[in-house]
Amino acid sequence: MLPIDAAAHTSRWRRRHPVDKAVLALGLTAAAVALPPWPGAVLVGAVTLVLLLCAARVPAGRLWRAFRVPLGFCVTGSLTLLVQVNGFSDPAGFVGPAPDGPLHAAELLARTAAASLAVLLFAFTTPLSDVLPRLTALGVPPAVVDVTALVYRMSFLLLDSVSTVREAQAARLGYTDRRAARRSLAGLGATAFVRAFDHAARLQDGLAGRGYTGSLRVLVDDVRICPRFVAASLALVACVTGTALLLGRILP
Amino acid sequence: MHIAEGYLPPLHAVAWSAAAAPFVVHGARALTREVRENPGSTLMLGASGAFVFVLSALKIPSVTGSCSHPTGTGLGAVLFRPPVMAVLGTVTLLFQALLLAHGGLTTLGANVFSMAVVGPWAGYAAYRAVRALRGSLMPAVFAAAFTADLTTYCVTSAQLALAFPDPATGFAGALAKFGGIFAVTQVPLAVSEGLLTVLVVRLLGQSGRGELARLDTTGREDTTDAEGTVAR
Repeated sequence: MLPIDAAAHTSRWRRRHPVDKAVLALGLTAAAVALPPWPGAVLVGAVTLVLLLCAARVPAGRLWRAFRVPLGFCVTGSLTLLVQVNGFSDPAGFVGPAPDGPLHAAELLARTAAASLAVLLFAFTTPLSDVLPRLTALGVPPAVVDVTALVYRMSFLLLDSVSTVREAQAARLGYTDRRAARRSLAGLGATAFVRAFDHAARLQDGLAGRGYTGSLRVLVDDVRICPRFVAASLALVACVTGTALLLGRILP
Repeated sequence: MHIAEGYLPPLHAVAWSAAAAPFVVHGARALTREVRENPGSTLMLGASGAFVFVLSALKIPSVTGSCSHPTGTGLGAVLFRPPVMAVLGTVTLLFQALLLAHGGLTTLGANVFSMAVVGPWAGYAAYRAVRALRGSLMPAVFAAAFTADLTTYCVTSAQLALAFPDPATGFAGALAKFGGIFAVTQVPLAVSEGLLTVLVVRLLGQSGRGELARLDTTGREDTTDAEGTVAR
């Protein structure tokens, strides 16, 4: 199981309805993207961090290990705003420092970091297995939901298989040089394909023996949307938005 | 590389979602029709999606010394065809956003448009073009993977250039900037993915012909080349 999903299954908010958490996390994501980065994104990021660590009780180390991946992309992406293209005819050179480049880069970094944290709030508290069966309520065709749920379940089996095969390849010096690594990776890709379809065929045989008709319904926990939680979430997002807009007028 | 969460301004995020939506809806309808006509194909499609997800998680060595992951869209388009890839690609990108913190929800539409729509269609077009010119299977597979990968990054460059035009030279300058950065890293990666995909298909021809033949359940015509390898 992947670390974020494993954490979601043991989350303090695991028994809350996905809609409760979606309103809070996606509301904060929308606020992070839509509000002016200073002070909006900074405020959203700070509030989300407090929610993650104090309310949802996500371990700080686990959160950092998950957050450093998108943070790396945010930093790399922001660096491009530091330079501008002047063109070949410009005496200053083809490229040069962009006016206000550091400011725009910092704003973009704040916005992407805050939005990433807000999505992590949802990911760290809501296992996908809770979300997928409920997608039909949003109008997603049942066939697509069934396929998506199968992709989710088979992915973990396949990732385990791939990990085992990779270890075996490494033990047989399959990654000692670039050529060997390429050959091993090709074998890994082909093995993943064959195993994926082997799993599917065996699953099909098993389901056929149980009278499979094409529907893959699963039991969904009988949890209800909590109006108080949703109302509090909306109030928090509204409060953050209002404070950010107010601070934006006061602060330089 | 996917566009990170929050990277695009709200208007761009909505516009790219609207642009990708018809392709995903079309793919979802094709998938629903297929499942209705052949209930057993649900499991095969699930396996296909899991394969694409795992393929995109493999790290491949780049010529520049760094590491990256294949998009898998070229191989996916050849094996499963572009409309199905629009759905499977969307599912993969959603899982990557929520399970791996890679990509994002607000940028899902833009990433779907580049990686699950344009990439597979361009890759599939390249594959069909090489086959129509009587090219053998392996060059066609290489062309599909290379084109799909490179097209994905070209579209991503254009998306980023539209969102962040250069202060001095506007969209063209930003396109040169983002395209230049991607050219250094992605052209070698596209070549790497092309070679890797050829090796995967060659191995599949040896060990996975039964599974490839089973893809017939998704309602496509298979062709068998002179070496006996099954592909579309």
